[in-house]
Amino acid sequence: MPTIQELRQALFSVQKPGRYTGGEPGSVLKDKTKVDLRVAFCFPDTYEIGMSFLGEKILYELLNRHENWWCERAFMPWVDMKEQMETLGIPLYCLESKDPLREFDIVGFSLEYELCYTNVLAMLQLSGIPLRAADRDERWPLVIAGGPCVCNGEPMADFFDVMQLGEGEQMLQDICACVEQGKKAGWNRERQLLELAKIPGVYVPAFYDVTYGEDGRIRAVAPNRPGVPARVTKAIVRDMDSFPPPENFVVPIVGTVQDRASVEVLRGCVRGCRFCQAGQIYRPFRERSPELISGCARTLCANTGYDELSLMSLSTSDHSRLEEILDRLNAWAEADHVSLSLPSLRVDNFSQSLVEKTSRVRKSGLTFAAEAGTQRLRDVINKNVTWEQIERGCRIAFSEGYTSVKLYFMMGLPTETMEDIKGIADTAQQVVDLFYTIPERPKGKGVQVTCSVACFVPKPWTPFQFCAQDTRETLREKQKYLLSCVHSRKIKVNYHDSATSVLEGIFAKGDRRLGAVIEQAFRQGSFFDTWEEFFDYDRWLAAFKACGVDPDFYNYRAIDLDETAPWDHMDVGVGRAFLVREYQKALRAQTTPPCNRQCSGCGANKLLGGPCFAYDQDQL
Amino acid sequence: MLTIRISFEKRAEAAYISLLDLQRVFHRILKRSGLPVYYTQGFNPHIYLSFNCPLSLGQESICESCEVKTADENADLNAWQDALQPYMPHGIRILHIGPAQRKSTEIQAAEYELTLPPAGLEAVEAYNRSPQVLVEKKTKRGRRELDLKTWLPALQAEPLAGGGCKVTVRLPCAAGEGDNLNPALLLASFAPCGVQPWQCEILRTRLFTADGSEFR
Repeated sequence: MPTIQELRQALFSVQKPGRYTGGEPGSVLKDKTKVDLRVAFCFPDTYEIGMSFLGEKILYELLNRHENWWCERAFMPWVDMKEQMETLGIPLYCLESKDPLREFDIVGFSLEYELCYTNVLAMLQLSGIPLRAADRDERWPLVIAGGPCVCNGEPMADFFDVMQLGEGEQMLQDICACVEQGKKAGWNRERQLLELAKIPGVYVPAFYDVTYGEDGRIRAVAPNRPGVPARVTKAIVRDMDSFPPPENFVVPIVGTVQDRASVEVLRGCVRGCRFCQAGQIYRPFRERSPELISGCARTLCANTGYDELSLMSLSTSDHSRLEEILDRLNAWAEADHVSLSLPSLRVDNFSQSLVEKTSRVRKSGLTFAAEAGTQRLRDVINKNVTWEQIERGCRIAFSEGYTSVKLYFMMGLPTETMEDIKGIADTAQQVVDLFYTIPERPKGKGVQVTCSVACFVPKPWTPFQFCAQDTRETLREKQKYLLSCVHSRKIKVNYHDSATSVLEGIFAKGDRRLGAVIEQAFRQGSFFDTWEEFFDYDRWLAAFKACGVDPDFYNYRAIDLDETAPWDHMDVGVGRAFLVREYQKALRAQTTPPCNRQCSGCGANKLLGGPCFAYDQDQL
Repeated sequence: MLTIRISFEKRAEAAYISLLDLQRVFHRILKRSGLPVYYTQGFNPHIYLSFNCPLSLGQESICESCEVKTADENADLNAWQDALQPYMPHGIRILHIGPAQRKSTEIQAAEYELTLPPAGLEAVEAYNRSPQVLVEKKTKRGRRELDLKTWLPALQAEPLAGGGCKVTVRLPCAAGEGDNLNPALLLASFAPCGVQPWQCEILRTRLFTADGSEFR
């Protein structure tokens, strides 16, 4: 624990010191002499981003419900604080007890996006914990990871003792119980890991050997200990109502990105957009009941004092009983001074009554994800949205008084041509034109259409995992062409340099050989790679060179349909056969209906042990 | 319309809550509480909320306050305290909620208790010996050089058991227009004697009006 004096010295010269002091309402304090297990829940990005993350709130509450466990939080300190801590010799500490991470039994990281990998190493180093799992025995904390990136965690395999594939509600509690048992029994690290590997969803990277062919492709991945599963099957919460959403949050004082109460209404997604990793790896689709959602949301608002409630999921409007949820929430929200917001709405079922039920808050902007500029390309990516639906959504929005619309697009999608790029500009122009045809549009105001164009990154466990990523040159050309197609000042185009997307593409589909590269880049000064001002592409290229690893092998190369991918010893539910089928349909621009309408046989239903929907009953 | 003063202390971790964040926290808690506070009547109505003489980051206080308004003349202010306190950050403790007796513009001075490290004793002596103690004050209008002796001709150091000492000072502190002097400037002037600002604690203890009476 740093002395008050040391801490005060560090806090004296940093921006927003409130990020490093803890003491927020809802944070849990326990007597450390009376707990059996201490968990440091680490988010490898700034406090503002980490505190916006719902997953941490869910697990923080679940773990702290155990009287003899204490789960605390740590975040990546901003550059100024990192420097202070290094200068003053203050090790990275958890906000609740201010105890250094190395005193904990479990140090867990949430891997939400690939570019946070160097921050994980930075946080371990700030804690004085050896970076590589091979260099840590039972005297060191068990360093674990969870989150979507674990669906291909191979690039980080060298650094973690344990990775958690899938949903953490039960798995993390099982891990904690096992570590508590091992601690009391005095197990060594090997024994501990062997016991942990028995827990569904737990992946111990060191227990698998990877062999490579002469062309650098993976020949095989095989367990090297008896009793370790050849494939790790994702952990899943079968019944979403069996784990109620959190009824309390740590309420940040320093303004964070998402600073409101939020309740996860469903998990998984029925849509099957072919570019979307979340839509595949969180399958199958499971809903929470309106009664539970409303009850827990009300308690959450009462406990935290939040005046804004957000309904979270990959696609909230796909909840089969959304109207009932909103009616239940609206029954108390106004009296409790809570306003509702619904992110993740889709244009195709965005209705008048939805707008009315949620528009008590101030009108700002509306966002529609069109993803591609032409119907052909939207069919390729299986984003089953038509211009008529976008038009309908915008028409409702404009009539309701909105004057700015944001459209999300991607570029660099498989089969994309310049025609499709022009389609982005055309779609935006059509929205502008639409505005002026609506008699009840807000008067005296112009319309603003913002197109946010992201660079597509092929991700594992999607039908597009087989595809190569567009090169930076191609993307630059497309960006330039798009700008030349825009002829109105009412249309604003946002895009960013593709260098970070390239690195994201490499890590997403990478294998274990990238561990050395990540460590090299980190040792040469890379961290906060998600922050443009700290991202140094050339330093990364130098790291690849120094390690003798060809980055293009990972993202600029198409994977054969029968090739062993680095992530094939994971099982997230959806099967290879389904991904191949979807990929081939994509090349033919054939769509696949949402899975609540017709099962497309992705294979994820085996995790539930039966069909995901009662197709014989008319649910829709 | 009644002006209600919420008096609170801001200590420990709460010392690092900026005014901006504090305002946000209070706004949210007040709105959520449903208490009959007055909302401005503009295009985007928001709660009328005004903090008096906000502290610098890292300083503590046992005499902070803010003001809200209410149209409800018979509001049960004890209930207000119960409604607000549970949601406050650690270190913010509401001391009193009551109708404002005086206007915040009457605040003229603040008293601070400074806890200094062992080198502080010498720093205080050096201060008292100097005919002039010039410090630079940054304002929106630029930099200004001030002589601290104008306000503090001499300091009284009260030695503490564990080494170090305590100094109590009264400095100009105005809620609106008027002179303001941050005690951090005094601490900065101790630097040549080896007293670093982060070795010191600053606790604001009382506020005073022009006639020298305590502002509550």
